[in-house]
Amino acid sequence: MSVKDKPEELANLRFILEGIRSKEGIIGYILRNSKSASVDLNDPAKIIDYAMLSAELLETGEVATEIFDVGLINCVVIEGNDVKALSLVMGDQRLSIFMSKEVDHNKILKELDLTRHTQRRNERFKQNNEKSET
Amino acid sequence: MSEDIYANALKTALTEVRNICPDITRSFIFTKDGIIIAEAAQDAEASTERAIYSFQSLIEKADTIGGLNTFLVNGSKGVAQISRVNNMYLALSASKKADMAFIQSVARIIIPTVIKLLENIASTPLKSTFSPQNLIVENLTGLLVGETAQIDNEILKQWSKNLNNARIDEIEIETSDGKIARCKVKAISEREFIGKGLIRIPEKISRTLEVEKGEQLKVKPIIPEGKKYER
Repeated sequence: MSVKDKPEELANLRFILEGIRSKEGIIGYILRNSKSASVDLNDPAKIIDYAMLSAELLETGEVATEIFDVGLINCVVIEGNDVKALSLVMGDQRLSIFMSKEVDHNKILKELDLTRHTQRRNERFKQNNEKSET
Repeated sequence: MSEDIYANALKTALTEVRNICPDITRSFIFTKDGIIIAEAAQDAEASTERAIYSFQSLIEKADTIGGLNTFLVNGSKGVAQISRVNNMYLALSASKKADMAFIQSVARIIIPTVIKLLENIASTPLKSTFSPQNLIVENLTGLLVGETAQIDNEILKQWSKNLNNARIDEIEIETSDGKIARCKVKAISEREFIGKGLIRIPEKISRTLEVEKGEQLKVKPIIPEGKKYER
């Protein structure tokens, strides 16, 4: 389900991302939708490489869910020798967070899941309101 | 131990792992080149090629983060994971209720151990090394032909190159109905037969395999004993 993100939800997500960004071991993040992208990485020279990897992560994740029949993607994690990345879809936004291997990505995921939960709750609230109005 | 036995051993390992943990829905091992080495027996046929192509692309891009060690997709119904095992990749999927600790043990301990054991037991090339060459039968007659087949020198050179310049003296020939024979091999010397995708075989071998001129055969090299193939 694709839902247009409300400005306040996006602002909330950015606020949470700022919090995550300040944690030790976080290398940066790429947040993008079909029209724009926000990039905040320690090493700007790697923006293109990380952006390509970020796009590939969710694409491969989608292929994998289809081939292996594991349902809808909750999140995707890739771990290399130096760095790992967590990718997920939040409404219209596609987010990848890059971090050192020592960082517990599950904790990051929990923080983000809270945002997703708020988004879903707001969507349901909006839908219920629309129903009651009709 | 032949490459088929190697692949079978891996397939058996994957299938046994699945028997122990039925929550594992699919598993296969592939190389960076996209060649599937072994796949566990599975209930449903599913296209692996598309997944492999996609994984290959990801593996390339993962150079940015120091290569791909693990790729995990957490889905609403289960998980899919790719893990690097030596120079290969193990892909497996499991249902939501699967014990993730066991999945990690499979990826990090069990399969790497099986691969290491197989490589230690016999220095065996992987299935990816050679897919059989399809060649057309041409009769080889003469007084001194003995039991040696002849194929293009280019093919012998290529095989040799893939085997760290090992000398290829022997080949395995397989007919379309599964008959197999081994014989010595050397390069085709007569110019009129070179570069035509032929295998010239003496009458004795033709009779053993029950093949005639013009038929297609699968031909692959036999790796010299003790030759370690370095991937």
